[in-house]
Amino acid sequence: MSISNYKAEFEKMLNRDYFSKSLHLYRKEAFAQLEKTGFPTRKWEDWRFTNVSIISDGEYKISEISDAPQTTPNIDSYQMEGVDTVVIYNGHYQKELSSVPDGVALLSGLEHFERKNGKFDTANNSPFDLLNTAFTDSGMCIVVEKDTQVEIPIRILFISNGVRSIMVNPRVYIDVAESSSLTFMEHHVGDAESFFQNESVFISLENNAQLNHIRIQSNSEFTQNMANINVNQDADSQYHFWQLVDGGKLGRSNICVQLNGENAQCYINILALSKNNQHIDNNIIVNHNSPQTHSSQFVKSILFDTSTGVFNGRTVVHKNAQKITAHQTNKNLLLSKKAKMNSNPQLEIYADDVKCSHGSTTGKIDEDALFYLQSRGINKQDAMELMVIGFANEVLDKIPHPEIKKAIHTEFTVKLNRLMA
Amino acid sequence: MIKIENLYVSVEEKEILKGISLEVKPGELHVIMGRNGSGKSTLANVLAGKDKYKVTNGSIKFNGENLLDMLPENRARAGLFLSFQYPVAIPGVNNMYFLKAAVNAVRKSRGEEEIDAVDFLSMIREKLKMVDLDESFIHRPVNDGFSGGEKKRNEILQMITLEPKLSILDETDSGLDIDALKIVAKGVNDFRSPDRSFILITHYQRILNYMKPDFVHILMNGKIVKSGTMELAKEVEKKGYSWIEEEVAEAA
Ligand SMILES: Nc1ncnc2c1ncn2[C@@H]1O[C@H](COP(=O)(O)OP(=O)(O)OP(=O)(O)O)[C@@H](O)[C@H]1O
Ligand SMILES: [Mg+2]
Repeated sequence: MSISNYKAEFEKMLNRDYFSKSLHLYRKEAFAQLEKTGFPTRKWEDWRFTNVSIISDGEYKISEISDAPQTTPNIDSYQMEGVDTVVIYNGHYQKELSSVPDGVALLSGLEHFERKNGKFDTANNSPFDLLNTAFTDSGMCIVVEKDTQVEIPIRILFISNGVRSIMVNPRVYIDVAESSSLTFMEHHVGDAESFFQNESVFISLENNAQLNHIRIQSNSEFTQNMANINVNQDADSQYHFWQLVDGGKLGRSNICVQLNGENAQCYINILALSKNNQHIDNNIIVNHNSPQTHSSQFVKSILFDTSTGVFNGRTVVHKNAQKITAHQTNKNLLLSKKAKMNSNPQLEIYADDVKCSHGSTTGKIDEDALFYLQSRGINKQDAMELMVIGFANEVLDKIPHPEIKKAIHTEFTVKLNRLMA
Repeated sequence: MIKIENLYVSVEEKEILKGISLEVKPGELHVIMGRNGSGKSTLANVLAGKDKYKVTNGSIKFNGENLLDMLPENRARAGLFLSFQYPVAIPGVNNMYFLKAAVNAVRKSRGEEEIDAVDFLSMIREKLKMVDLDESFIHRPVNDGFSGGEKKRNEILQMITLEPKLSILDETDSGLDIDALKIVAKGVNDFRSPDRSFILITHYQRILNYMKPDFVHILMNGKIVKSGTMELAKEVEKKGYSWIEEEVAEAA
C-alpha cells in the first residue's frame, strides 16, 4: 500500500517550528522505511484478518493547534475517583486539567524522545511503529525512580473530538526502576467524527519492578485505533495488563512482550466488546528469552451484530528458556449469527523443559446455563445479561484498585445492558 | 399439586415419553425409578420447561394452572423447582448474586419487596449450615469447579432458599457419600410439610432409608408401568427390572 496520502502531512510535520529539529533525522528515517514497507495488506501473515485500507487510503491530517480546545474542555463525564489524571486532547497536552503525581517524573513524550536522542526502542519496526516515530506529536513519559511505590494510579485521558479527520500519534514511555511499582491507566474517549489514533507505548521494567497497566479504549465508533505496546522486562519484574475495548471502528492492538530476565512475569488480560460493524483485533506476542519466566494471555471477546474480531496470540519460548510456564486462553461469545471471530493461539517452543497450554473456544450463549437460571425464576432477558456480564467478569474481576474496578464495572454493565435491551 | 395426564414428549423427532399420567397431591413424596434412558430426566425437564422437549400430547395442571403454557421462570415463581441431575457451571456468575437474583425474582412476582442485603446474607448463612457447605461456596461462580457432591448440596441450598411447593429431585442422591446423602435427606425431611410435595428420581432405594415415600413408580420405555410403595423400591433393588418387563410383556 502506498503511503502517499501521508507524504504532504509529513512535510507539514517537519516544518512545525514548535517541534524540535533534533528529531528530524529519526522521523525521516522512519518515514523512509515506512515508504519502503508500506502499510500492511491482508497478504501479510499477521494481518490476514484485518483490513487497514481505511487508514492507508484515508486522508487524515495532522492535528493542528486549532484542533486543540479553545477554552478549557469539560471533562466531567470522564472523571474518575482515586487517580491522578493527565489530559491529552486531540494530541495536545492540557496542562490546566492535569495533575502531576508525586514520586514520578512526568516529561512530555517529546522531551523524553529528545533525551533518549533517538535511542527509543522501536521494538518490531512494524509499519505503525514507524508511522508513530515519524509523526510523534504528543505523549508522556513516566519515570519511577528506584524503590518508589506510587500509590495513586496515574491515568492519561486521551480525548479525541471534533469533525475534522485528524490523526494523532501519541508516544508513551513508562520506565519503572528497580523494586518500584506503579499503576498506569490509559483511557481513550471522545466523540470524534473521523479520527485515527496511532499510539506507541514503550514499557521498561527493571529488576523486581511491577506495573499494572490498564487500557480502556472507549472512543467514538468513527475512530481507527492502532496501539503498539512494547514491553521489556528484567528479572523478577511483573507486568499485569488489562485491556478493555468497546470503542472505535477498527481497533488493533499489537502487544509485544520480551521476558528478558529470569522470573519475569507477564499477565495479559483482554476483554473486547464489539457491536455494529466494529472490528477488534488483538495481536500478542510474548517472548520467553530467559529461564523461569512466566506468561499468561487471557483474552475474551463478546460480539454483537455484524462485528468481527481477531485473536492472534503467539508465545515463543527460546532455546535456553527452560522451566518456563506459558498459558493462552481465548474465549469468545457470539451474540449474533452474523458476528465472526478468528482465533489463532500459537505456541512456538524451542526449549524442552517447559509447561505450556493453550485453548480457544468460540460459541453462543450456553443454552443449558440459560435454562438453569430461568428454572430458578430469573427471566430470560435478565439471565442472558447475568451470563454475559459473568463472561466479562472473568476479566473485570481481576482489575486492581477497587475504585477503578468499580468504575469500569459500572460503565461496562451499562453499555452491555443497552446493547442487550 | 400437580396432575400429569397422558403426556407424550419427543426430542428431535424421537418419542421418549409415551403416555404418562401421574398425580401428586400436597404433602406427598413420589419416587420414580427406572433404567438409564427410560425417560426420567426427560419428564423432569419437561416439568421445568426446557423447550428442547416437544410435548406432542397430554396436559399438565400445576395447582390448577396449565403448566405447559408457562415460561420456565414463571413455573419457578409459581413454586416448581428442579434439582438437576447434572447442574451446569456458570463461570463468572457469582453464586450469591445468582441466589439473590433468584430470590428477588420470586419475591417480585408475588408483589413483595426485594430482600435486604443484610437479611439475605444472614438467611443464606443459616441455610448453608443446613447443607453443610462452607460460606466460601456462595462467593464462587455457580457450580464452577464444584465437586459432584458440592453441586448436589448447592441444589438443595437453592431449594431450601427458594422454598418451592413442588420439588423434583433428579438423582440428587447419586454419587453422594453417606454423609452427604444424610445431609441431602435431612434437607428434604426438614423441608417437608403438608403443603409441599416431592418427586424423587433415583436408582437406589438407599435414600429411602431416610425418607418415607408415599408412592413408588417404575418408568420403562417412556411409560409408568408399575406403581407401588416402598416395598416396590426394595424389590427393584434386589431383583432389577426384568421381572417387571416380563409382567408388562405378558399383559400385552
Ligand atoms: N436432547 C436429546 N437429544 C436426543 N436424545 C435425547 C435427548 N435427551 C434425551 N434423549 C434420549 O431420551 C432418552 C431418555 O433420556 P433421559 O435422560 O430422560 O433418561 P433417564 O431416565 O433420565 O436416564 P438416566 O438414568 O441415565 O439419567 C434416552 O434414550 C436419551 O438418549
Ligand atoms: Mg436422568
